[in-house]
Amino acid sequence: MSQADTESRRQEDLDAYHVIDCDCHYMESFNDVAEYMEEPWKTKFEGSNFDEKGAKQNLSSFFPFSTGDRQAHGKITREHSSYPDDPETPERIREGMESIGVDETLLISHLILAGAGTIADDTRQSAFAKAYVEYMSEEVLDPDDGIHGLAPIPYYDVDASMEILDRIEDRDEYVGACFVTAGATPPLGNRKYDPIYERCEDMDLAAVFHTGGAGLDEYVRGGYQEMLETHTLGFLESNMSQIVSLVVQGVPEKFPDLDISFMESGVTYLPGLMTRLDEEYLKRPEEAPLLEKKPGEYITDFYYGTQPLEISADPAYLEKCIDMVGADQLMFASDYPHWDYDRPTTVMDLPFLSEEEVEMVLSKNAQEVFGL
Amino acid sequence: MSDLVEVKPADEFENGDREFVDVGGVEVGVLQVEDEFYALQNYCMHDGGPVCSGKTHRKLLGEFKEPGQRVEKSYSEDECVISCPWHGWSYDIESGDHLANDDISLPTYEVVVEDGVVYVGGQKN
Repeated sequence: MSQADTESRRQEDLDAYHVIDCDCHYMESFNDVAEYMEEPWKTKFEGSNFDEKGAKQNLSSFFPFSTGDRQAHGKITREHSSYPDDPETPERIREGMESIGVDETLLISHLILAGAGTIADDTRQSAFAKAYVEYMSEEVLDPDDGIHGLAPIPYYDVDASMEILDRIEDRDEYVGACFVTAGATPPLGNRKYDPIYERCEDMDLAAVFHTGGAGLDEYVRGGYQEMLETHTLGFLESNMSQIVSLVVQGVPEKFPDLDISFMESGVTYLPGLMTRLDEEYLKRPEEAPLLEKKPGEYITDFYYGTQPLEISADPAYLEKCIDMVGADQLMFASDYPHWDYDRPTTVMDLPFLSEEEVEMVLSKNAQEVFGL
Repeated sequence: MSDLVEVKPADEFENGDREFVDVGGVEVGVLQVEDEFYALQNYCMHDGGPVCSGKTHRKLLGEFKEPGQRVEKSYSEDECVISCPWHGWSYDIESGDHLANDDISLPTYEVVVEDGVVYVGGQKN
């Protein structure tokens, strides 16, 4: 039985704001994307017995090849989404947006999250990413109706990444380039990725770093047993490792006009990371010679998706964290239809934000970053 | 001359030498580095370490030349640094500014050489 998310909840509150969702997951199927693949990958994928959805999550929930299932042992369902196992459709995306009170959405590939860790064969990633970009352009994205896209960047292969940027340069439906932070080795501040950032900066295309990697029982070290452990740790580690790499290697100094955002790790990890990095930098500044200010000041130049917002924390603590990051750097993100998605009401209900700040977080900051 | 604190004859200094004097209740380190004299507070702004007994060295600089290439690193031709031996907090030896954050500045003092004798004068910053 699916969760009845057609049931209107707080519709008046939702209607009062224009809401842009900076992180919605399109649960594309292998079969749909394979139609747009080049050979030999088209034939290989179609014959791979991946089924429509690839590795089925409900199988993994019983015999876990990760630390457990996304839907918390059957507790979590979605009415207007394929979640967890059917392929998505464009119609259902619109239903899902309406059901949670979102007016415009930025879709990212669901399957690329898993592919980012595939470092042994980067042709597979780039083949998928190219096909995904074409599939979404042709069949799903619709900027006039508020359905925008983020193009997955197979950053292990810089040439393929540049080809994808060439392809989307004149396509209004793509408003950002998406880098999955899990598994990126070397980390994303490495100079090998410079040409990608330079191209994004030239195109005035936002760079969106999206975390991943939770649920892997060998996240950093082997032996974790529960999703609660790996999801809490893995998402933070994946984003933190890339934030540190980008800042220390000077990416914001090399490409000062590049808008950088990080998704899906909430906000309370940021003050801890900023203060620790600043403390270390005072002792070792010569290892980051491009920096013109404290590392934490670059971190607060980045933008952050709000989800999963730690709304159960002590309000004074959460207020301090958001104050340190800055309401002008936060963008509402739902992560819909995932198990821990947020509705816009999570932002509207923050008791310490002004009305102007709520509007900034719900839409105005995203309009600026993504040119919407 | 009453505001000056005598250190020792200039010709008794060699590069790398440092002497410590009391200037109005503050311990000040007087150093000769690359034939120039410097005087700084010998109490690190971080945690009170004996910064003036630390290593002096040229400032390491980095320059971004072009995307995809390594940052070119080289030592400055004229800027020198002194680093506290306790935790490595490093200051420009001339200005006293912390390398990472010039909101933090180690007090520096005038150095005067008169009649072949080195004196420390008033605080500069």
